[in-house]
Amino acid sequence: MPTSRSTRIVLYVYGILVIAFLYLPLVSVSFASVSKARYLSFPIRRYSTKWYGEALKSSTVSELVSTSLTIAVLVTVISVVIAFFGALAFARYDWRHRTLFQKFILLPIFFPQTVLGLALLMWFNSLGIIPSWKTAVVAHLVWIAPIATLIVAIRAYSFDPALEEAARDMGAGTLSILREITLPLLAPGLVSAGLFAFLLSWGNFPLSLFTTGADSTLPEWLYAKMVSGYSPLVPTLGVMSVVGSFLLIFTALALAWLVRANREARAAQQ
Amino acid sequence: MDSTALLRLRGIVKKFGSFTALNGIDLEIREGEFFTIVGPSGSGKSTLIRLLVGMDDLTEGTIWLRGERIDQTPANLRPTCMVFQSLALFPHMNVGQNIEFPLKLRKVAPQRRRERVNELLDLLRLPRSYYDKRIAQCSGGERQRVALARALAFDPEILFFDEPLSALDYRLRKTLEKELKDLHARTGKTFVYITHSLEEAMVMSDRIAIMREGRFEQIAVADEIYNRPVSRFVAEFMGEVNLFEIRADAGGTLSGKALEIAPDARLDALAPGTEALLMVRPEYLRFDGPGERFEFALSGTLHGEYALGSRIQYEIETETGMVTVEKLREDRVRLKEGQPVRVGFDAADTHVIAEPA
Amino acid sequence: MNRLDRKLGLLSALPLTAVLALSFVAPMLVVAIFSVMPQKVFSFANMPDFSSYRVFLEQGYYKSLMWSVGMAFAATLILLVLCWPLAYGMAKVFGRFTLVLTIAVVASLFVSENIRLFGWVLTLMKGGLIEGHLRAFTGISFDTPLYGVPIIVFGLVYVYLPFMLFPLAQGIAMVPDDTRQAAYDLGASRWQVLWQIEVPLAAPGIVVGSLLSFVLACGALAESKILGGQAVIAIADDIETAFTFGQNWPLGSALSVILIVIIGVLALYGVGRVDLDAIMGRRR
Repeated sequence: MPTSRSTRIVLYVYGILVIAFLYLPLVSVSFASVSKARYLSFPIRRYSTKWYGEALKSSTVSELVSTSLTIAVLVTVISVVIAFFGALAFARYDWRHRTLFQKFILLPIFFPQTVLGLALLMWFNSLGIIPSWKTAVVAHLVWIAPIATLIVAIRAYSFDPALEEAARDMGAGTLSILREITLPLLAPGLVSAGLFAFLLSWGNFPLSLFTTGADSTLPEWLYAKMVSGYSPLVPTLGVMSVVGSFLLIFTALALAWLVRANREARAAQQ
Repeated sequence: MDSTALLRLRGIVKKFGSFTALNGIDLEIREGEFFTIVGPSGSGKSTLIRLLVGMDDLTEGTIWLRGERIDQTPANLRPTCMVFQSLALFPHMNVGQNIEFPLKLRKVAPQRRRERVNELLDLLRLPRSYYDKRIAQCSGGERQRVALARALAFDPEILFFDEPLSALDYRLRKTLEKELKDLHARTGKTFVYITHSLEEAMVMSDRIAIMREGRFEQIAVADEIYNRPVSRFVAEFMGEVNLFEIRADAGGTLSGKALEIAPDARLDALAPGTEALLMVRPEYLRFDGPGERFEFALSGTLHGEYALGSRIQYEIETETGMVTVEKLREDRVRLKEGQPVRVGFDAADTHVIAEPA
Repeated sequence: MNRLDRKLGLLSALPLTAVLALSFVAPMLVVAIFSVMPQKVFSFANMPDFSSYRVFLEQGYYKSLMWSVGMAFAATLILLVLCWPLAYGMAKVFGRFTLVLTIAVVASLFVSENIRLFGWVLTLMKGGLIEGHLRAFTGISFDTPLYGVPIIVFGLVYVYLPFMLFPLAQGIAMVPDDTRQAAYDLGASRWQVLWQIEVPLAAPGIVVGSLLSFVLACGALAESKILGGQAVIAIADDIETAFTFGQNWPLGSALSVILIVIIGVLALYGVGRVDLDAIMGRRR
């Protein structure tokens, strides 16, 4: 029974409403970021980009951004490498403890991140490690590496194991199979996993909260200012962070689209 | 033992946990032959071929290739190659890159690789311009040819096929069966083919092995398997067949349920005092008519008539069960359902299977 | 399963397993050990006692736990009802719009949860986006819904929506269209099809989505702090306080252990009942 026209319309409208619901708070933040007043109140009477200027000049901000960025880049690189192999163990190879491994790596994803952060703090303390942005990298990895693995695993599930077997049959060793067959076929999954890893690390707050020690990431600073001592820079920095993330996503989507369009155009020529 | 065997298997056993997939396989395959292994799904034929190319490990037994033991050699070091059921063409490479993949692994110079790819494209009757074509844009038949070209580029001692035609539609399959046989003749390679389709095996093979529950039931040339199956399983697997219980007493007199047997009828293959199955293919059964005389005859009623393209099939209900008769369309007999009919055959049209019912 | 696959599987699982062993399992053990240490110590070199667990019962910390679990449960139920039609649309009705929706929802995940919740404060507060404009244009004013239990549940629903939506859509996508049509064809009503065909067949997605939302909401902290204004204290909040202001690691650890056990039992039970290979589309 095909879905009736009216049901379809209702569902579409509902979908649009959900998107609006998800993004409404960001609209408020955006308005707040261009309000001239130090103490915010709607409707906004005078608009100004003064806080953006202040944010760009501030050395605190550039320090926060560089800490967040360093963590995110490291987490991305390490996660992608781990996820490549992890996904093969998760989805591709038949080995004895595969189902156990699958369940094991899901656990950190289910875990309350605050608790995880505190547990790591105690662990580092008992090892005599002083928390800094480096320990935050480890903390992010606990949560992000399994997620990246799942993303690559979805890709790994969709390719035919016979491809690797065929390559082996024709004389390829394990390393050349990984390089010539597995890596190129998993590449799109690795790119999305990298994108996820970067963005999740960039926006993460609960894991950073207890594990960065004296260093501070952007989301941490924002949280601190939200719960105590409002700063007009909060909405401004929030918007800048969000815009940065979204620019990255759209660039990635646009690139993916270009690659596909290019491939189709080449195909059409033949 | 055949001393000219290219591939020799001895006592192959493969177990998956407590399940025995292969239960003592012995086999010799000669150089240059087209050898087909036929069996229903679950008979162990795919397991066997995976052992032969080295993708799975065997539990017991040995495999020799040209007198050299290879059962412990990993797949990538064995000089054999397989065409997969899914074909396993690399989707991220174009046609040419797929075909030259094994050459690249052997570090053949690009110039030479390109020449070889062109030769293979010619051999498989694909245009040379296909070098740059993406796999996703090839038709089913073209993909088959690319997979074959890739396997031939590897230049294996033996080329294995794991039901590569099973996913194709009937007409394309028929065309490719003939092409494959032709390719076998032109390349002179040894082909080992597995399929669940007897028809496919009959068209292409020099010899056929029938597999059942992890063992070979019979290994022989196609005609022999068709006309002289060794068991009920092979007889029934090879297509529609009528099987009658038959007995010879100590004096050699024949008797069988529902069978009217002429006093002078003789079955040389049936020893006195034994029981067996008497096999008659449906096309050898004749309807009774004026001047007709049978060594063996049956009576029953017509259950139904079915048109099978160029042939007509009749099902006749008798005391021993349903009997099938086939006639060419031009020899069609006009009969009504439920009408009593008498059919018969001679000893020369039969084959005795020494397997008691 | 052949020797090579077994070897490669083990090898490729090693990096992730090593990371998790060192930075997930080991910290959990530390938490477990600290939870049986006497109050307010900072090293393992003490005689274990179970005073922290006594404190949990005696000083009313179980109330925070009940609030957290209760609110998580409410949020999960609301999410299930809220997401079902949308997930259905994504799996069966929307064509290209599914992609748009997916990108929009996933992109929202990348915005720090703090910023989004802060955005709700700006939207709902007195003089916020809604009340401020309403008052300016109509003169009507209303009290802010912020700082209460319902708004915390609202925050949980808002933050964890994607975690319910995607597994649910995946589950519904697993229901073959034929079965639904066959059921209609055999005379089933819309409700009968929902309860007897779609829900049972989409069960893996429902289980994963509910579990994920519930478990994450149980350990949530920011919603009650930013939106709830401490109207009730969430268990994660108690844990944080015990560690930071309270300087009582054993108490914080004991509270963590209790939360972890609840979450762990649920997660293991749920994950154990679901065939991950089937959900994620393994080929063989």
